[in-house]
Amino acid sequence: MTTREGRLRSKQGESAEEIQFPVTPMLDMAFQLLAFFILTFQSPTAESRLDLYLPTIPIALPGSPAGQARTTPPRRSELDLENDLKIRAEADDLGDLKSLKLGDSLLPDIDALGDRLRRYAAILDGKPLRVRISADDRLRYEVAARIMGICNVVGVASIRLADPGDAGSSRTGP
Amino acid sequence: MAYRNRSRAEGSFQLNLTPLLDVVLQLITFFMMLIHFGTKIEGAAAEVKLPTAPSALPGGDLGLDRLVVTLDAKGRLIAEGRRFEDSSATTWWADQARKRRVGLGSIGRKDEELPTLVVVRADKAVAFGAVRGLMATAQQQGFARFTLIVLRGPQP
Repeated sequence: MTTREGRLRSKQGESAEEIQFPVTPMLDMAFQLLAFFILTFQSPTAESRLDLYLPTIPIALPGSPAGQARTTPPRRSELDLENDLKIRAEADDLGDLKSLKLGDSLLPDIDALGDRLRRYAAILDGKPLRVRISADDRLRYEVAARIMGICNVVGVASIRLADPGDAGSSRTGP
Repeated sequence: MAYRNRSRAEGSFQLNLTPLLDVVLQLITFFMMLIHFGTKIEGAAAEVKLPTAPSALPGGDLGLDRLVVTLDAKGRLIAEGRRFEDSSATTWWADQARKRRVGLGSIGRKDEELPTLVVVRADKAVAFGAVRGLMATAQQQGFARFTLIVLRGPQP
């Protein structure tokens, strides 16, 4: 704009009438818009989510007292529950992770869980991988959420939560 | 310098607003590109510190039929701006399930399993037993779909 203005002046001379573009109203409007966007700005959230489907069929209900199960014929999903891969997380007195098992095999740390589950998923070759997480009640939720997050990331199709005392069926890890 | 001399000669002072306008328009463009409305997950409370976990799912798109509950570090349920202890929490879940069943019944549906998504925001320091207990109570009332809100962590 300044260069163009200079050229104009050199052509028409200093005495010629100067053409001024009124910038001030545009600037006012621009400041209004800027204020609006600054006030409505939300920083991108780092929140994410872990989806769980916990069916309400009697066998899946945690801690159902004996004798209260309904006498409905077993459905396919109930039979599938018996074939889930079991993750067992034990906690120490402070609520930290003491030991982690996948099936019957002890894992060295929580990061090894992802590798093992990926290998399981590869063995299943496209079939849905389902896990049952049985964690001590005193385990800190942060650790449990991390375990569920790892299951989520490696593509576990279904995560179920079991009572810590629930023996259930288990498979041996790869 | 030349500009100042000329201005003095002409007897008027002109502030050059064009660079300022350029910068402001750049800022507007920046904020326009980043703007997003309504993606904040509801029920956020400063007292609850979410755990960090690897997750592949984004935070939004939770659907319309959802029930947001919060669990503080002491394991107390916070919902609809109120705190519930153990027995009152069970009553609250039963009440929520009943209301939804009435709603579903009015449109001719009698599902045992409620389609409502229960959004759980639990403090990272809370015992897992409290989270599992909350979900078990809800599950016994017919809620089957849960989502745990976490902070996105590094992938394993």
